[in-house]
Amino acid sequence: MAKALRVVHYVNHFFGQKGGEAAAGLPPEVREGPVGPGLALEKALEGRGRVVATVVCGDDHFSENLDQVGQQIMALIKPYAPDLVVAGPAYGSGRYGMACGKVCELAQRELRVPAITGMNEENPGADLFRREALIVSTGETARTMAQDLGRMVRLAEKLVEGQELGEPAQEGYIPHGLRKNRLAEWSASRRAVDMLLAKIGGRSFQTELPLPKFEPVAAPAAIGDVSRARIALITDGGLVPKGNPDRLESRGATKWLGYSISGRDRLTPQEYESVHTGFDTTLVNQDPNRLVPLDAARELEQEGEIGKLHEEILTTTGVWTSLANARKFGREMAEKLKLEHIEGVILTST
Amino acid sequence: MRLELGSFPVTDIVFGARTRWQDSVLEIDARALLEEMRSDPRITRAELELARPGESVRIWPVRDAVEPRIKVEGPGVAYPGICGRAIDTVGQGRTHRLAGMSVVEVSEVLPHDAGGDYNSIFYDMSGPWAEMIPMSKLLNLCLLVEADPALTIIDQNDAVHRATLKLADRLAATTVGLEPPQREVFELGPVDPALPKVVYIPCLHSAQAMSGNGSNGFFCTTATYGLSMLTPPWPMHPNEILDGAITGPYRIATSWHLANNRILLELYRRHGVDLNFAGVIAVRTEWTTMEEKELMCLQTAKVAQMLGAQGAIVAWDAGGNEFLEVVHTVRACQRAGIKTVLLTSEDDPTGGAPTLLEPLPEADAVVSTFIGGSGYPGGSGPASSQMLPAMARVIGSPTRLVGAVRDEVIDVAGPMPPPRYNDTYGFGRYSGVEY
Repeated sequence: MAKALRVVHYVNHFFGQKGGEAAAGLPPEVREGPVGPGLALEKALEGRGRVVATVVCGDDHFSENLDQVGQQIMALIKPYAPDLVVAGPAYGSGRYGMACGKVCELAQRELRVPAITGMNEENPGADLFRREALIVSTGETARTMAQDLGRMVRLAEKLVEGQELGEPAQEGYIPHGLRKNRLAEWSASRRAVDMLLAKIGGRSFQTELPLPKFEPVAAPAAIGDVSRARIALITDGGLVPKGNPDRLESRGATKWLGYSISGRDRLTPQEYESVHTGFDTTLVNQDPNRLVPLDAARELEQEGEIGKLHEEILTTTGVWTSLANARKFGREMAEKLKLEHIEGVILTST
Repeated sequence: MRLELGSFPVTDIVFGARTRWQDSVLEIDARALLEEMRSDPRITRAELELARPGESVRIWPVRDAVEPRIKVEGPGVAYPGICGRAIDTVGQGRTHRLAGMSVVEVSEVLPHDAGGDYNSIFYDMSGPWAEMIPMSKLLNLCLLVEADPALTIIDQNDAVHRATLKLADRLAATTVGLEPPQREVFELGPVDPALPKVVYIPCLHSAQAMSGNGSNGFFCTTATYGLSMLTPPWPMHPNEILDGAITGPYRIATSWHLANNRILLELYRRHGVDLNFAGVIAVRTEWTTMEEKELMCLQTAKVAQMLGAQGAIVAWDAGGNEFLEVVHTVRACQRAGIKTVLLTSEDDPTGGAPTLLEPLPEADAVVSTFIGGSGYPGGSGPASSQMLPAMARVIGSPTRLVGAVRDEVIDVAGPMPPPRYNDTYGFGRYSGVEY
């Protein structure tokens, strides 16, 4: 590396030599040069960089107001124009871990500076910030500080040089929880047979896809009195006005749409069709009420079984849709319906 | 059941005055063969073009690719049942194949009655997309074939696929009476009883969900002895599959992939070495209700138990809805005491989204073949947001309709995003990894 890296180091009140628990409420301050573990950090840099400044903040003060204090710390770091921000390592300390995660997240996002921290995998800061931050996996105590800073520096240098990092286990960082493709040594078929024989034989094997976790969706409370409730019809079956004037995608939808049904008692095949590519649309295109039961819903409305039918149908195409988009559609639809005081939804899928 | 597979390597294809295989060169009398294709009054176009590995060629749209195979001994015909072919049980005797080539069905005929359907599969013969797919390493004899658009979609499918099979039959017939340069015998003979018994469970999309109306079940998508409708779990001898008993296209998976199924061959070649290959259970997916789906999964586990399986590899040809049968089959097998590995592609991880639709804890041994989805930019190999380079020549349609409602015309030869990639049959080395 030609030019010595300018490094700003973040540490908490304890490692910043401000004192014990009594100092945990201290606001952030900046000091020139390395402080405490910053000396070991500079040593680990082996002359390829130096610690130009250290930001110190009390753990309680930071963790009680992560966003605001985080912004203050960015303001303290910015004048030093660092090439790299190093935070911690925080080991098993939860409040310190959150602080380090936040500093890294903001340094990357707001200052566009590569950042690295270290902490134990069980640290709540790891769970909260591993998506955004590069976190070297450490033990629970500071006994291994020198080695840990050495590992952080080696990884940070790759980051600064824009090198692609290897796999988490091999590089020693906590996985971001993201996925990417790589070429394996053997074909998928051979890997499958090998994995199966290991599993049958009780030998160790590593799944290539640790099972993802989904956000739990709590069932909402029941509608007390449906005969007074406003009900909306939603579909992911690709229902559109004939000719698809708003160009809803047949698959891989990037949007959802709303269409007024005001004054209509049913959906006619002259006016509506489905553009969904995941099922045979023949029967829906003969009678679109088979997809969105406006006819039956209107009858129930007239009979007083439901209070009021919402005068707009919400629609999208649910096939090859990314989960990111599906979540976005769901949130947007729910927000809109809430504003319009809709209490219940009949969602017909395909 | 003993099957001898005789391979006739094809290192070059030339157009000439007759149709014959000699010294690894396939000579083709295009005029006579095409006359035969065109004798079906439903066919409105039949032409031949050749694409060689490494050429700057894009083939679009690809409906299927068929390896020419012919039965020279034993009952039945290769690729039985589909397009009205004989349904005798196959898998015995001797079958000849032309190795290193395929007949590519290049056609605008849509596979389904589904809304907004379109053909999105294409092959490049060079460049990053070519590196990913086994088809680009083959000599691809392309049959450009179209049917009368006034016919039903079922009849159009039948017409173009029948023509493709007819051509493949004629080419494979050049090996009748010749001694195959390479032979391999496939037989599930007795092995050391200590070896673990393993079944292969391919989950196959059924066309019924997308073309239920008017179909009599014999439809030219992935078909088992011609049947593509929803059927209960179907136990099969792997030799039947080597004779093309499961055939026909579904998106990126073709007849060629099915007949050369790498998972099946891997299990077969290790039969008696480190495992005991107990057979195949073909499962149909995209049933309507969860109860139907669960029933099929439980019945699949039952059949696996009846085959004495201690282990199973479950794989599928990818989609969304269909994954429920797939992962519930994994669970049913595990609960029946059958150790199971799932071979699957992964969904779009944009925004840190989970890449598996339903992560049942029983799916604790997963081989990931690729992370796909629309617009996923990450990792090695082309993803759908990365453009493939322009090609010098196009086989098929020179223009293509793209966009949300496919009303924008683009030049097929130009830079283009790759089609959605799945490695259903375990050919490739890609794997999704966490980072």
